[in-house]
Amino acid sequence: MLHGGFLEGDAVMVAGAAGSGKTTLALQHLVNGATKYEQNGVYVTFEQLPDQIYRDAEGFGWDLRRLEQEGKFQIICTSPDLMVNKNGAEELLGDTIRELRPKRMVVDSLSHLQMFVPEGDVRREVYRLVMFLKTKGISSMLLWENPQILGNSYSITDVGLSFMVDAIVALRGVEIESSMRRALAILKMRGSDHDKHLREYEITPHGIRVDQPFTQYKGLMSGSPRRVASEKFVDMFRSVSDKKKSAVG
Amino acid sequence: MVEQTSNILSRLLSSDAKADLLVLFHKNPGLIDTIEAIARRIGRMGSAVEAEMRDLVAMGLLKVKVIGGNMVYSLDRSGDKRILEEAADHIRIVK
Repeated sequence: MLHGGFLEGDAVMVAGAAGSGKTTLALQHLVNGATKYEQNGVYVTFEQLPDQIYRDAEGFGWDLRRLEQEGKFQIICTSPDLMVNKNGAEELLGDTIRELRPKRMVVDSLSHLQMFVPEGDVRREVYRLVMFLKTKGISSMLLWENPQILGNSYSITDVGLSFMVDAIVALRGVEIESSMRRALAILKMRGSDHDKHLREYEITPHGIRVDQPFTQYKGLMSGSPRRVASEKFVDMFRSVSDKKKSAVG
Repeated sequence: MVEQTSNILSRLLSSDAKADLLVLFHKNPGLIDTIEAIARRIGRMGSAVEAEMRDLVAMGLLKVKVIGGNMVYSLDRSGDKRILEEAADHIRIVK
């Protein structure tokens, strides 16, 4: 879907509503980095305590405490107002960056960080954080809680952060034939080609699994999905019916 | 040595707030925050844990640094490991 993955040093925003699987996707990204690609990872959380993250990860078979003991992973739990202080990122993350030499970092979440920054300063602070991590050669995954669950408007953030990141992954619930399903789309990817399809994904006992594109439906992002084949079928019947009416008339 | 470790154990268990702080930092070794924010995470006021936090720093279990004028506390992993080992040895000797 990403045609080889994110580029080194990229800042990736993962946007989605509560329960869409942002944290799971982010942890999976770090665990895969540490276990398959020799890329150490750091998870910065402003919301959940690490204890809860360890426990939730165990449910997917990821032993984060073991990865920490092996020096491949670390969770940092802090307050967003410390992060946006002068030199806050360096003071908070500097020791960990020097010791662990991470290549991947997750920030959970920018929406929480935004609450502690005056409205006009959000973009500047996020830009500073993104550039701090890029300078250290770290790819960042920035989580954004989007309250939009269903509906026909789809703006990623209301504070104009989309242009500051290199890639945007949107996770969205879609209602199809009275059941809730999950859709994933790559909305932006600088410097690389990517799959433009809206794909279904599932949260499995082993993490997130991306499935086939929703080729049978249209209008998913607008919140009004329609079955493409059935639409054509209805049109065909309508035209036959119209012809019959005009012949009778 | 035995007396010293015994004193450390008494200090560690001297209040409920200190016990809550120890559990919090052991379960969440990556926690780094201000007194007020740490206190909130155990459902207390900053003023109620300030003295305990300072004592844990003095004992070498926590470390402190200043970020943007705020005193920020985190677990001193090496100090914590040393004290835990001493306490375990002490308990073995006493038994």
